[in-house]
Amino acid sequence: MSTMFALHRFKLLSLLLLANGGALLYLSLGDIKPLAIWSWTDIAGEGGSALLVLVWAGLLLKGRPAGRVTNLLFLGLACLFFSLWMDSLDEFIALPDTLLLDHWLESAPMPLGFVLLTMGIYHWHCEQLAISAQMINRERHFREHRHFDKVTPLGDAGYFRRQLEQALPAAQLNQEPLSLVMLDIDEFSAINRAHGHREGDRVLQLVTQQILLNLRSHDLLCRLAGDRFIVLLPATLEAQAQTLAKELEDSVAHLALKSAGQGERLRISATTVALMARQEDANALLKRINVVMARAKQAPQLQRVGA
Amino acid sequence: MSARPWLDRETRFIAARGQPACLIDLALSRDIDSHRILKGTGLFYDDLLSNEPYISAQQFHRLIDNSKQLLAADDSAFLFGQQLLPGHYGPTSNVLLHADTLLQALQYLQRFKALLSPLCAPVMRMDEQMLYLYWLDSFESGQNRQFLLEASMAAVTALTRQLAGPNLPWHYHLEYAEPSYIEQYWVHLGEHLRFQSPASFMCLPREHLAGRVRQASAVVGQIAEQQSRQQQEQLAGEESMTDRLFDYLCEYMPRLAGLEQVAADFGMSTATFKRRLQREGTHFQAQLDRARTLIAVDLYLCRGFSNEAVASYLRFNDRTNFRRFLKRLTGRSPNDLRQWLGA
Repeated sequence: MSTMFALHRFKLLSLLLLANGGALLYLSLGDIKPLAIWSWTDIAGEGGSALLVLVWAGLLLKGRPAGRVTNLLFLGLACLFFSLWMDSLDEFIALPDTLLLDHWLESAPMPLGFVLLTMGIYHWHCEQLAISAQMINRERHFREHRHFDKVTPLGDAGYFRRQLEQALPAAQLNQEPLSLVMLDIDEFSAINRAHGHREGDRVLQLVTQQILLNLRSHDLLCRLAGDRFIVLLPATLEAQAQTLAKELEDSVAHLALKSAGQGERLRISATTVALMARQEDANALLKRINVVMARAKQAPQLQRVGA
Repeated sequence: MSARPWLDRETRFIAARGQPACLIDLALSRDIDSHRILKGTGLFYDDLLSNEPYISAQQFHRLIDNSKQLLAADDSAFLFGQQLLPGHYGPTSNVLLHADTLLQALQYLQRFKALLSPLCAPVMRMDEQMLYLYWLDSFESGQNRQFLLEASMAAVTALTRQLAGPNLPWHYHLEYAEPSYIEQYWVHLGEHLRFQSPASFMCLPREHLAGRVRQASAVVGQIAEQQSRQQQEQLAGEESMTDRLFDYLCEYMPRLAGLEQVAADFGMSTATFKRRLQREGTHFQAQLDRARTLIAVDLYLCRGFSNEAVASYLRFNDRTNFRRFLKRLTGRSPNDLRQWLGA
């Protein structure tokens, strides 16, 4: 919170001064209305709207990185707020009828604000397209921030399940194959034990980057749980999926990781399995690939020979 | 009855540098403020570093509440659990690492539970083929029950993997419904999971228990055992009141007389006994139900008792009452339960 006020102190201060100036101007020109003729519905409607717009502006400044788009959106919201604020002030202050200034102060900032907001939202849209391009392999079709993983920049198991629930019927309808690859880092808890959770989290982030580099543009990578990752491969046969799984396994094995503290070499390897979806639902498919993974982990030697 | 007093939920017997420190460490590694994680626990971060503070079960539960809320992740309990055993508790950790066999390590875990697993008590049972490890609440854990079970089971899984290799075929029975984050269970525990079980326990075929632990040293093990025993003797008690009551009920179930007799055996009047249980957040009937459920499961699993034999062991006079009892506590009729456990 304190960083938000520090970073945007000029914006917030000018808005405060402007609102205060408006109030003082009205007070100097008019008289305070008696309590009996206050219209409570108008006060609640106009004052409430002004407050909500102020909340929007606060959330905007708190949630977005500073920059051009943020400035445009803030200016637009500030104009809206000012206009609503002046509008609600005249519920308390009676101004002489001859005065035209108040109409201007109430009405002029509103369209200006909307124009600024529109410009801001347009640029926000452009920005969003650029971000979506960066989210390749980590997001498909829809976004749900509640399903963001807390450690890696990936979706979590819930997000993957929803994706799979959509992709499976679509694949069946189009008679396209759909495959999954699951990747599990071997003996990962040893890293957590030996180097701590922070180092373990860092390894997961690095492995995430490494896997992302090996995927095709329409594949989706999620972190299922712990050190287990899962990739959705649309329009892919099992043989192709197995090739990709082997490639991922090799690429993780060749990752020359160093610890953050002393730069020690951390040796990691991963077990991967690949499956093609049959006539089954998302839950059954996930359970099946999990069992296959458990077997592969049980007999690593066998799997190495087979691979 | 042993003469030592028991631990209640306000006894400060948990070394904060032990299990609580693992949880604090997990939270700090996720960039959570130390003040927020310790809020309401009576612990201070500086104190933890410069002294050896002890906290009560109640305060530890508060710490778990805080971490659940602040970490807000499905894997917290598992990550916490993986650090718990053998842990970094000096002699009590060494006792586990230098046990002769896996079986002995688990026996030590049960014996030194106040030091190694202060909130969730492991109870071991065996038959010809299998070892069963039940997990009991030592202090009413309410909302934290699932967290404790996840952590305790992950802890024993990690310990036995470390001692005897990664491929132990543990099976897990859990008393609640399958959670939405089932993937965490797959990764941290394995794929042999059964939910909505009448009791929470894990089991392992006995052939895996006898193998010698690779790095064990007999001398170090004996020294560690002595030191652990001394540490345990310095505690205010060895187990919680409900743990003690559970042991008592298991022992006296076939000739259980009634609340008055139990209270008298615990050396107090019925009213005091009830009040003490109430202070622990429970009551006699709940404890009796819990013990009877576990005994019933154990008799079906280990001894292959018939419905009638289990009913009479648990002192039910007629089949209807027994049936109603099982239905209420496990949601299954005696036959269903027997089949379900046998499957």
